[in-house]
Amino acid sequence: MQAFRNISRRELLGAAGIASTGLAQAQTRSSRPKIAAVSTTFFKYSHTQHIVDRFLEGYGWNGEFHHPPMDLVSLYVDQVGSRDLSRDRARRFPGMKIYPTISETLTLGTGKLAVDGVVVVGEHGDYQRNEMGQTQYPRYQFFQEIFKVFRASGRAVPIFNDKHLSWKWDWAKEIYDTSKELKFPLMAGSSLPVTWRTPSVEMPRDARCSEALCVCYGGVDSYDFHGLETIQCMVERRKGGETGVKSVTAYRGDAFWKAYGESVWPHDLMEAALCRSHTLTPAREGFNDILPTMADMQRLVKDPVAYRYEHNDGLKSTMLLMSGLVKDFNFAARLDSGIFSTQMYLPMPDGRTTLATFFSPLVNGMEQMFLTGKATYPVERTLLTTGLTEAGVKSLFLKGARVETPHLGISYRATKESTFQRS
Amino acid sequence: MKRIAVIGTIYKYLSHVQHIADRFLVGYPHEGAWHRPDMKVVSLYIDQKPEGDLSSQRAAEFGFSVYPTIAEALRCGGEKLAVDAVLIIAEHGDYPRNEKGQILYPRYEFFKACTEVFEKDGRAVPIYNDKHLSWSFEKAKWMVAESKRLKFPMLAGSSLPVTWRLPELELPLGCEIEEALMVGNGGSDPMDYHALEAMQCMIERRKRGETGVRSVEMIEGAAVWKAGADGRWSNQLLQSALSRSDTPQGYSFEDGRTQDLATNGQLPKLVKNPAAYFITHNDGLKTTLLMLTGAVQDFNFAARIKGAGVKSCQFLLTPVPNVTYSACLVNNIEHMFETGRAAYPVERTLLVSGMLESCLTSRLQGSKVLETPHLSVRYQAPKVSVTPA
Repeated sequence: MQAFRNISRRELLGAAGIASTGLAQAQTRSSRPKIAAVSTTFFKYSHTQHIVDRFLEGYGWNGEFHHPPMDLVSLYVDQVGSRDLSRDRARRFPGMKIYPTISETLTLGTGKLAVDGVVVVGEHGDYQRNEMGQTQYPRYQFFQEIFKVFRASGRAVPIFNDKHLSWKWDWAKEIYDTSKELKFPLMAGSSLPVTWRTPSVEMPRDARCSEALCVCYGGVDSYDFHGLETIQCMVERRKGGETGVKSVTAYRGDAFWKAYGESVWPHDLMEAALCRSHTLTPAREGFNDILPTMADMQRLVKDPVAYRYEHNDGLKSTMLLMSGLVKDFNFAARLDSGIFSTQMYLPMPDGRTTLATFFSPLVNGMEQMFLTGKATYPVERTLLTTGLTEAGVKSLFLKGARVETPHLGISYRATKESTFQRS
Repeated sequence: MKRIAVIGTIYKYLSHVQHIADRFLVGYPHEGAWHRPDMKVVSLYIDQKPEGDLSSQRAAEFGFSVYPTIAEALRCGGEKLAVDAVLIIAEHGDYPRNEKGQILYPRYEFFKACTEVFEKDGRAVPIYNDKHLSWSFEKAKWMVAESKRLKFPMLAGSSLPVTWRLPELELPLGCEIEEALMVGNGGSDPMDYHALEAMQCMIERRKRGETGVRSVEMIEGAAVWKAGADGRWSNQLLQSALSRSDTPQGYSFEDGRTQDLATNGQLPKLVKNPAAYFITHNDGLKTTLLMLTGAVQDFNFAARIKGAGVKSCQFLLTPVPNVTYSACLVNNIEHMFETGRAAYPVERTLLVSGMLESCLTSRLQGSKVLETPHLSVRYQAPKVSVTPA
């Protein structure tokens, strides 16, 4: 990989003879696209299992049992643990082979890129955490291996990356820049933007929006990303589109409650979001569904976290992790027309369900990209939320210092059509 | 401010009385706000007070009285009817079952005690009856007739018709339904009732509206699979309904994989005691409820619509303890109390009460096909949908 970096991109592309047209256009397409999956680990209810199984087994979609019109032919698994299911799947689906390297997974052992699309799932598994608390999932390293094959083969194919692009902004940006340079479609992100909503409503396109907020749950450098994607998939539809983010300030523990008391973020939006929850912890014994007071919340939420950030056009957004209070993702925004709110509904397989069906719209979005060669929704959304996650974690690490984010001046427009599950 | 009497069987945590009555006391989430009804619970009658009873605690905190009889609750201890609306919630509690397996909740008796007060006092007020009207169609029919005679608005039924649907499917009014199928799970007679009512709120929107039920048949066990193989219920509709499920058991439970339960042969292994409820309507429409306990844990509907193909959805039962679907129901109850108009016809629940009773009678009589001339309940679906916003 290091050796590769010493070769200039121009030289490399020149050698492949396709510099001006782009790698993606040089691809040839068989009738059923061949897909490779590059993953960290594969066990029950891991992201890899949710995603790969939908390609192999099919899934309920649009009122039918849908079999993707493509073949997942190869799989790389970085860590094979005691709960591994990849070997079982390879046995049951002989059309999918497990390869020991990413390179072989993409070339199918032929020495040249031999697939039409790649799914990268760098989530779960035993990877180190750094001093800021970020799990160093090897998504960037996986991409480097993939790019090596693309370049050597003179061809690039669409990639879907599960969750944020990297824990490190510079690496995420490099992945994004490389997709532009090699001209292949790149898609990434969470299931939150694409899952069912209760109610099933879309942020009005070109609405004027002054404040947006998500009340959700989970840990830092984990579900914070999902909360940020929840907000971003909505606010990107506002008038003028996304303009990027100026700065991020994080609040945790006592600082969170102090900020809450001082109305650093709007209480009415927080209440609107809580009123969309299906999992509000009852604040009083004997009651099943009751609106908590601030004192109740302080008692229920042991480790609250907020990321408050200002967009370049003045919009202010707040992501609130309130584990102990809710177990779902609830969005609210102040529009010119009043408060707008909904829940991004995750039927989480935590005992109540057996299937994380929110992976179905995610996989369906990938399929569309693999078929059309166009990203189903803009990767810039996830580039921005990747940077926001890092900035939030950094602000927490700096004990709530405001983190300026000039590098997050990311402008993009939302798709005209909604891309969340509605049918 | 409207004054409400609550007539219930038991008031324990997570009982229907607690779910429903508490929302009038502490409010509930509605359309993205915490809604506090402009109404006051002024009296309560509670039939049984098992361990965990909350009635006196609630009465003390929210300033209402618990009365020893229904009449006293409706008159708030005075001489005349002293409330503007009545909630009858007779679900949960210790009541016997009959030979058909129906729990003999005293809904009819509670209702009758209310209408006796209405009649004597010369004034009638709206009544909401939770779930089906009675285990007996004759009693249910009397209840609806009594509401018409005394001219008071009445609403009844399950939360399933008013909860979120995934997707937000509403069949177009006047559509032609070729066949419909519902998949439910859980015990009889609570859960089959919910499933039948969920299906009914969809099919009542068909061309010419509901015409009533001509005959029913209920089968159980291996006969259910054979009936499927013989084409008595549609595997295509089953596949579509199951494609909406978040809870397939078996392989999905074991290792998380997705699966097509309609075709992979696992259903007979997963479902120990399947049941099929066959219902033939007077206009010829045939519908089937499959109770597949062991295969899935949610409620899913599918129908083949002329010119539009198969349409399906899940009726979302949101998690315990919030059960926010009951907030959707309470909003419809509150709306009726406020306006005096029911957002959907009580005849839906009347018909479903009768269908269920007749299906259970069929089972008792060895899965006999029963002609049901008494179930010629005709009504039109509401023009305005009541799915939550």
